[in-house]
Amino acid sequence: MSALQGFFRPKTVAEAVALLAQDPDAKPMAGGAPLVAMLNARVIEPAALVSLAGIAEIQGISVLPDGRVRIGAFTRHRDTAASPLLAGTCGAVKHAASQIANATVRNMGTIGGSIAFADPGLDYPPALVAAGAEVEIAGADGRRSVAVRDFFVDWYTTALEPGEMVTAVLLPAPEAGAHGVYVKHARVAGDYATASAAACLAKDGSVRVAVGGCGPTPLSSDEANAILSADRSDASVAKAGALLEALADPLDDVRGSADYRRILIPRLLRRAVRSVEGQA
Amino acid sequence: MNAPQTLNLRINGESVPASALLHDTLLTVLRDRLQLTAAKRGCNQGVCGACTVSVDAQPMRACLSLAHNCEGAEVLTLEGLNNDPRMQALQHSFARAGAFQCGFCTAGMLVSARALIEQNPAPDDAAVRSALSGNLCRCTGYVKIIAAVQSAAAALREEVAAS
Amino acid sequence: MSTATTDNAPAQADTVGASVSQIEGGDKLTGRALFTADLYRHGMLHGAIAQSPHAHARIRGYDLTEALALPGVRAIVTGDDVPGDHRMGAFIKDEPALAKGKVRYVGEIVAAVAADTEEIARHAARLIHVDYEELPAALDPAEALADGAPLIHETSETYAAVFDSGTSGNLCSRTSLGQGDVEAAWTRCDVVVERTYQTQAQAHLSIEPCGALAEVDSAGRVTLWSANQSVFRVQANVCESLGLPMTRLRCQTPHIGAGFGNKMESHVQPALVALALKARRTVKLVLSREEDFETVRARHPATIRMKTGAMRDGTLVAREVELLLDGGAYGDDSPGVLGYALLMNCGPYNIPHVHAHGRVAYTNKMRFGAFRGFGVPQVTFASEQQLDEIAQQLGMDPLALRRKSIKRDGDPWFGGQPVLSNGLAECLDVVERASGWQAQRAGKAAAATGDRVRGYGIATSAHISGLLASGAVVKMLEDGSVLLNTGAVDIGQGSNTALTQMCAQALKLTMDQVAIASPDTDGSPYNWGTTASRVTYVTGRSVVAAAAEVEKQLKMHAGQMLECSVEDLELLPGGKVAIKGVAQRNVSFAAISGRAHWAAGGPIMGTHTWVFDQKTLDPKRAVAVGLPFPQIGIFSFSAMVVEVEVDTLTGKVRVPRAWSACDIGRAINPTMATGQIEGAFVQGMGYALTEEMVWDGARLANPSLMDYKIPTFAELPETLQAFIVESNEPSGPFGAKSVGEIGINAVAAAIANGIADAVGVRLQQLPMTAERVLTALLAKEGA
Repeated sequence: MSALQGFFRPKTVAEAVALLAQDPDAKPMAGGAPLVAMLNARVIEPAALVSLAGIAEIQGISVLPDGRVRIGAFTRHRDTAASPLLAGTCGAVKHAASQIANATVRNMGTIGGSIAFADPGLDYPPALVAAGAEVEIAGADGRRSVAVRDFFVDWYTTALEPGEMVTAVLLPAPEAGAHGVYVKHARVAGDYATASAAACLAKDGSVRVAVGGCGPTPLSSDEANAILSADRSDASVAKAGALLEALADPLDDVRGSADYRRILIPRLLRRAVRSVEGQA
Repeated sequence: MNAPQTLNLRINGESVPASALLHDTLLTVLRDRLQLTAAKRGCNQGVCGACTVSVDAQPMRACLSLAHNCEGAEVLTLEGLNNDPRMQALQHSFARAGAFQCGFCTAGMLVSARALIEQNPAPDDAAVRSALSGNLCRCTGYVKIIAAVQSAAAALREEVAAS
Repeated sequence: MSTATTDNAPAQADTVGASVSQIEGGDKLTGRALFTADLYRHGMLHGAIAQSPHAHARIRGYDLTEALALPGVRAIVTGDDVPGDHRMGAFIKDEPALAKGKVRYVGEIVAAVAADTEEIARHAARLIHVDYEELPAALDPAEALADGAPLIHETSETYAAVFDSGTSGNLCSRTSLGQGDVEAAWTRCDVVVERTYQTQAQAHLSIEPCGALAEVDSAGRVTLWSANQSVFRVQANVCESLGLPMTRLRCQTPHIGAGFGNKMESHVQPALVALALKARRTVKLVLSREEDFETVRARHPATIRMKTGAMRDGTLVAREVELLLDGGAYGDDSPGVLGYALLMNCGPYNIPHVHAHGRVAYTNKMRFGAFRGFGVPQVTFASEQQLDEIAQQLGMDPLALRRKSIKRDGDPWFGGQPVLSNGLAECLDVVERASGWQAQRAGKAAAATGDRVRGYGIATSAHISGLLASGAVVKMLEDGSVLLNTGAVDIGQGSNTALTQMCAQALKLTMDQVAIASPDTDGSPYNWGTTASRVTYVTGRSVVAAAAEVEKQLKMHAGQMLECSVEDLELLPGGKVAIKGVAQRNVSFAAISGRAHWAAGGPIMGTHTWVFDQKTLDPKRAVAVGLPFPQIGIFSFSAMVVEVEVDTLTGKVRVPRAWSACDIGRAINPTMATGQIEGAFVQGMGYALTEEMVWDGARLANPSLMDYKIPTFAELPETLQAFIVESNEPSGPFGAKSVGEIGINAVAAAIANGIADAVGVRLQQLPMTAERVLTALLAKEGA
């Protein structure tokens, strides 16, 4: 039978963190979509749930004084997908949000809940890496920020310590003339990506790319970014693709074999780079 | 021990006390406690859409919503929307167009379609597909549903224009 | 989009041919329609199943102590609760109500629990301990048929079968059909194509999972409500597998959330009835989506070796096909699927020399059974591709090649059955015109944009409409209105509406003057089931015949009341019998019925019962061994053109446009008919491109909607046009044949042909996933 005995609704991050610290079997719940699905299937059996819905601080998208864009952890995908503040290279994150699942699930799921879950098939991770995001974390010891590349650690594993929660995702200040895209290859609309690629093109021509669904964490490489920033020809894209492919550790699953995913990496990368160029 | 607790839900415009365990979903409470069986359980994972209801004016998956998390929210099910003009327009056009066969996905489909029309009174083909891509239907092949949603939207616009 | 005629205001009493809305529409659209899971009874218990974790194992014993000790558990049944050695099966009696003595697939029902809540029942099910002795398993059909394979049914030779199945060891059934002399014919062929094809298990994915509710009265008689496609098959299966006389079980029908074949034979009903009888209380049991995937049935995976020979001018000469079907652990409808697939393998073409043979193997996987198309989608995938390959080798337009050999008016079916209505040529004309076939194929190179390449594919198919038994009772109620009872289950396809339309038309009544009864084994005439696309034709004929009986009795009364000869009488619209040409001399149905009830003759009732009786094969023209259906026929036809787009970067295929024309004899309800064609097309797209049940060893790897993907609104073609062709079948009710399955058979083949046209690769395996297409493209580039 379900072990669930407690359901808490903290009003502040401090309250939430205190609740999580006091009960190691308590799970934070944002939109709830994957969490309740797992509860229904009895894949997880937490002793308590800490609903983050009532915490004002983690709601909404805003611009910080330094120009960076702050997406509160409890921001629904629907709102991320529609926000005019996600301009410039932040567009990759906006584009990724718009392709998550379907409209109804986008009304429910949140960015914080999504990235904390760290399913490698998710759409946010490669987009966040390409966009150079930071993840703001709160714990009993206070706040800290982690570059998103260091946030995703392994299959379903993040840099969150026990008792910590995501409070926001921070993106670099958008610049006019910059663009970001997220290319998703899936079997049907609404499926997890078989593989995906995000590409961000800054006004000065520098490029950051990342590939999703091909390993425990998004694939990215400073070398690949440097190659593409210098030259975006087919040959150059192929070189960058080969570098990323070398980092890949894909699974065989019902969406595709590991071999297929490897083959897709340079191809999706090319599509993402050409697509972001097409926006400029 | 996980004992059922009473919570006060707002269902179809009324305050309704219901008994729910902490892990009971809104879908379980609607169907098994309140006998509001229009919302269906097709997968219990949020994929099929047959459980779609309106929560604070947004279509949501009842199977992925914990009942205790819905206290204070305005929940509308198909049963409570039968007098809603948009829903009536949809029901009328679904009947005319043959936009349902077995009817099992229909409640969720209608709730999603109504939300679409509320936000977008003149949805084109792409808008309908995008709004409804989370509602699976195995019988109709979707063609007549798209036609029915658009014809209901058109009928509503005519009514507005006429009044 | 669809070119269905909608809402023609019908002429008085002209209900047939009108797109009347489904009569249950009000309930379905307002959420009032009650499906199995929506039924609640006072004091009802909830059931849950315990499933086998092993593919093949002996059951040494059960330990139910922990489960029974859980508060709220009221009863548990296992195979030990079913005395004797009773078995059910559509063709071969090989299946127990729930596992007894051994388990034969992962997921098989091993026990069922009744408890106060579903949660308690499911928890208790997990506490049931079964002592298994694992046995080696045979997971692959070829392996299962090899010498030394583990025996899945040790005494299969002794099982009762309804036909000469040849059952032996792991061979569930074998069938062989032939006409002409195939061996000699090859030498005369200018072109011969031979290939082997592999098709996958497809899950029905009705949005309603399987479930049932059983009520027990104090005498132990059970009333069973279940998600079903035939109350009579439920009754037979439950009673045969539990050793109950059929009078002890009444089967009724709530609203059904689709079936596509999944609910034609039994699912949880036998175990549930055993459970309810033990608990002596009402029990409701509904499967989870995962259990529905794992426990029930799916479309047969098939290995198809096919060889086709033709002359230089494109005339088809010879066909050989060898079919190996994975039957899973129990026979279910497998022998029928095999026999039917072989009967239909040539498609609607004249091929004089044919040898079609095949086998069904038992394997330690879930049973495979009826699924829309019933073997024809599999063989059509092979056959229609072979025709295209021949066309390509001969430098012929694929459409022109087909026109040379399609069956035309007067041509009999393979085996000699006369075909009295044939609109196939018109179907081809319609889709040729609608798609702009010639122009499209000429212009497509110009239309290619970058990575995305388009191509066009064509395919045809056929399907039957007549099989087994139906009946109808048409009763005139006291007030002159009519009650129709056929026992045919409406699973959402609209048979209640269509049959009501036919009855109303026959008696010149309006729809609201005819009510239709819910299928009930206590009160309904026998109906084999809603399957094989048979209800419109077989049950429709009974409805028309029973209505004719009513007309006869009406006229007999009216003749006496109006003092004239019955030959001088006619029915008038709205419920009157009048003297021909003298309309004002009439009596109402109400008046006649009153007289019949109270004064003379007795209440008016027309009945009809029959078994479809056209022989499948003429023994002078064809030979057959192990034919499971000696009487099957009345052919509907389809032709379709699809435009496919291949993303050469990823291999992903989509279908931007499709045109599907079906000769269905006569559309009783055009909107419902095009709805069938459209729904079948999209289900066929899933079969062609994305749906595949995948086994990881013995266990199903993707029993979930997260991992098994059916088409959504986004995958629907931008343009999907369904066309109705009416060839007016002389033997059909109002000229009708069938529309339920004809729309799915050719979809995968048409898409495969389109892919070949677009990118020059031909796939022999389904589904044609992006990965398989890209792999083939890269292999072609590399070669």
